[in-house]
Amino acid sequence: MRLFSKILQVGIATEPLAPGGDEVVRLLHEVDARARRLFGRALAIREVDAGSCNGCELEISGLTSPVYDSERFGIHFVASPRHADMLLVTGPVTRNMAVPLVKTYEATPDPKLVVAVGDCARTCGVFQGSYAVAGSVDQIIPVDVFVDGCPPEPADILRGILGAIGRR
Amino acid sequence: MTFLFWLMLAGYAFGAVAALLAPGNRAVRRGTATGAVVGATASIALALGVFATDATFAFDAPALLSVADGVAFRLDALGAFFLGLVGLVAAPCAIYGAGYSATYEGRYSLRFLGAALNLFLLTMSLVPCAGNVLTFLLMWEGMSLTSYFLVMTERDEPDTVNAGGWYLAMTHAGVALVLAAFLLLAAGADTTSFVHLRAAAIRLSPTMHSVVFVLALLGFGSKAGLMPLHVWLPRAHPAAPSHVSALMSGVMIKLGVYGVLRVGLDLLGGGPAWWGALLIVLGALSAVLGVLYALMENDLKRLLAYSSVENVGLIFVGVGAGSLFLSLGAVPAAGVALSAGLYHALNHAAFKGLLFLGAGSVLHATGTRDMNLLGGLIRRLPWTALFFLTASLAIAGLPPLNGFVSEWLLFQSLLPGIGSSAPFVAPLMTLAVGALALTGGLAAAGFVKAFGVTFLAIPRSPAAEHAHEASLSMRIAMGILAIACAGLGVAAVPILAALSAVLAVRTGLSAATAEIGGGVWLSTPERFAQMSPALIALGLGVVIAGVWLGVRVMAARRGVRIGETWGCGRVTQTPRMEYTATAFAEPLRRVFAELYRPTKDLSIDFHPESRYFVQSIEYRSEIVPWFERYLYAPLIARVQGWGLRTRALQSGSAHAYLTYLVIALLALLGMLLVQGA
Ligand code: SF4
Repeated sequence: MRLFSKILQVGIATEPLAPGGDEVVRLLHEVDARARRLFGRALAIREVDAGSCNGCELEISGLTSPVYDSERFGIHFVASPRHADMLLVTGPVTRNMAVPLVKTYEATPDPKLVVAVGDCARTCGVFQGSYAVAGSVDQIIPVDVFVDGCPPEPADILRGILGAIGRR
Repeated sequence: MTFLFWLMLAGYAFGAVAALLAPGNRAVRRGTATGAVVGATASIALALGVFATDATFAFDAPALLSVADGVAFRLDALGAFFLGLVGLVAAPCAIYGAGYSATYEGRYSLRFLGAALNLFLLTMSLVPCAGNVLTFLLMWEGMSLTSYFLVMTERDEPDTVNAGGWYLAMTHAGVALVLAAFLLLAAGADTTSFVHLRAAAIRLSPTMHSVVFVLALLGFGSKAGLMPLHVWLPRAHPAAPSHVSALMSGVMIKLGVYGVLRVGLDLLGGGPAWWGALLIVLGALSAVLGVLYALMENDLKRLLAYSSVENVGLIFVGVGAGSLFLSLGAVPAAGVALSAGLYHALNHAAFKGLLFLGAGSVLHATGTRDMNLLGGLIRRLPWTALFFLTASLAIAGLPPLNGFVSEWLLFQSLLPGIGSSAPFVAPLMTLAVGALALTGGLAAAGFVKAFGVTFLAIPRSPAAEHAHEASLSMRIAMGILAIACAGLGVAAVPILAALSAVLAVRTGLSAATAEIGGGVWLSTPERFAQMSPALIALGLGVVIAGVWLGVRVMAARRGVRIGETWGCGRVTQTPRMEYTATAFAEPLRRVFAELYRPTKDLSIDFHPESRYFVQSIEYRSEIVPWFERYLYAPLIARVQGWGLRTRALQSGSAHAYLTYLVIALLALLGMLLVQGA
């Protein structure tokens, strides 16, 4: 009963797709088609936060929101690198996360792809030179594609993913 | 067969004497085992002989204790089944004991242990052979007393004396009830031999039948560990030496089932439907509660003991369904249910024996039964781990092992009952099937816990770190039982067909049961369901071999990269990060919180400077022991109250005692006068 009254009170909360949405849909379909061709199934992604400010994470989780709904297009976030085809790494790599990142990379079955998301991942961004930072992602593990932006938009991330699959 | 009978007696007697007289510890251990193995082998041969020739073996010594009709043995197929069951577990346990009891050297008397073990096996083997009440009770009591002394072996351990006390009290309360049942039965009989009791039972009134049955059920139920009479199992089984626990849990409690079958089905010749219903209800209760309590245990052997309560429950569900169907006239269905119960008894003997032996190896290697201190043993005790895993799979009811066959049969025997038109039968059977399904799932979870926490991951204590593999004799013993688990599963069809002879106690049952097996298929009446254990085993074998080969081929083509176990990328892994036994059971503790009523006690010691730094955490969680607290504690208090009050009689004055004597004498004379008049 409370559920119904809430539905009545709140009304429709969804928004129309922002301008440029068609582009996103096209990207998503492309990822879907490529992944299907490459794996015969969805693309499995393991997200690794190597020390980001979580701005990038917000955008990545935006990918799975109802607006983008990437899961529908065969982009599947998994809970273990053992299940993953691709690592999505964010942030500068902190000292504490350096070993876990390497271990995660090693634990991912071959062949694997690495997409480094955000400016920090490429240059350490504002955290450059901090005593707590071990280096950018490519100093720790091999990176296939960088996604620029602070934070990058979901559409940028999608382009990065697409670029990485396209390399194979 | 007489020869085999004497060989069995001689074997056990030799074992007992050798244990007492042999020079040196090694000789004592060897002598004990040799005698017991000879005795056990002879008992298996004797049981097979009775099966093969379809004849009853009889041996009487009327002159021995002639006041109570003498000593008489009569071994029919039902008895032979249980005799064989004793032998099947006794032989490996004896071999195991030869290695295991080495730990006791210099601490406890090996001679006493060896002699008691052989006498225990002897009396236990003779229980199903007994042909009259006196012999039965003598052997029963012998079995109870010798096993009590065996439980008391490690008498310096803190809990042992307490455990022994519970066991002694429960078993003697049981004997008292059994005695009462037999006396009521024997009242109208010529002698107390079972043949005459059977004849006399027909003349008894139905009410008397029911009284005898309930008395026998309670009496034998206390031995079998039926809820709520199970309280001694989780105490006595962990306290006893492991090969003795295996015997008590694998075999001795089955003789409680034998007692119920012998009295209820054979001597009384079956009864009204509510007998079966009562058995089903008690059985289902034991099964569900047994496994629920097993899940909460962190002591490996206590967990196994509770799981025995569960399995005895399953056996009683089968027996109960059998007697219910019999009273409804559905003889073929009864045959299936009874053979399911009996086969489960046999299977449980094999895998629970093996589990206790495995737990014994763990205890032997690490000195602890607390699973939260174990872990990582699969690398240190690979053989033990393999055998323990086999038994765990069997008890969890996975094909192609034996537990699967008997649980399948049990389900299939209950399912037709759901369509029964007799009042109350359909709902009862539905509930029983539900209880069984719940039990099966929880049992699997319980043994994932038992095996996983004990053998996998990294050791949680130095004791587990430095554990060593069991000695050769212990491994051989476990191997025999592991093979038995697999054999009883794969070759279930011919074995079940042979077992139909056991049910000859009632006309028509045997013939109906013999239908179960046909070729490679097990089928229940009217082809209600069919299953082939051998074909399942074959299929599984093919699949496993195929996967193995496929992996090999792929690996050869693509190359293999060996990596670390994934541990969330942690830099170091310590045992403190592992799932504990308590944590594993926590979800179930919450789901069944109504039953457990867990009390949590969490005390955290913070660093004086900051609450962000924890110095120590103590977590304790206890569950409410319903039966102990609300059934036994008041009972014990009451009994102790009576005891205190009667102590007033014991004044210490000789005059008072003389007065008692005179009063007793006068009362007796008075009774004689009244009877004479
Ligand atoms: S790139 Fe920007 S949003 Fe992403 S982690 Fe760095 S600072 Fe945060």
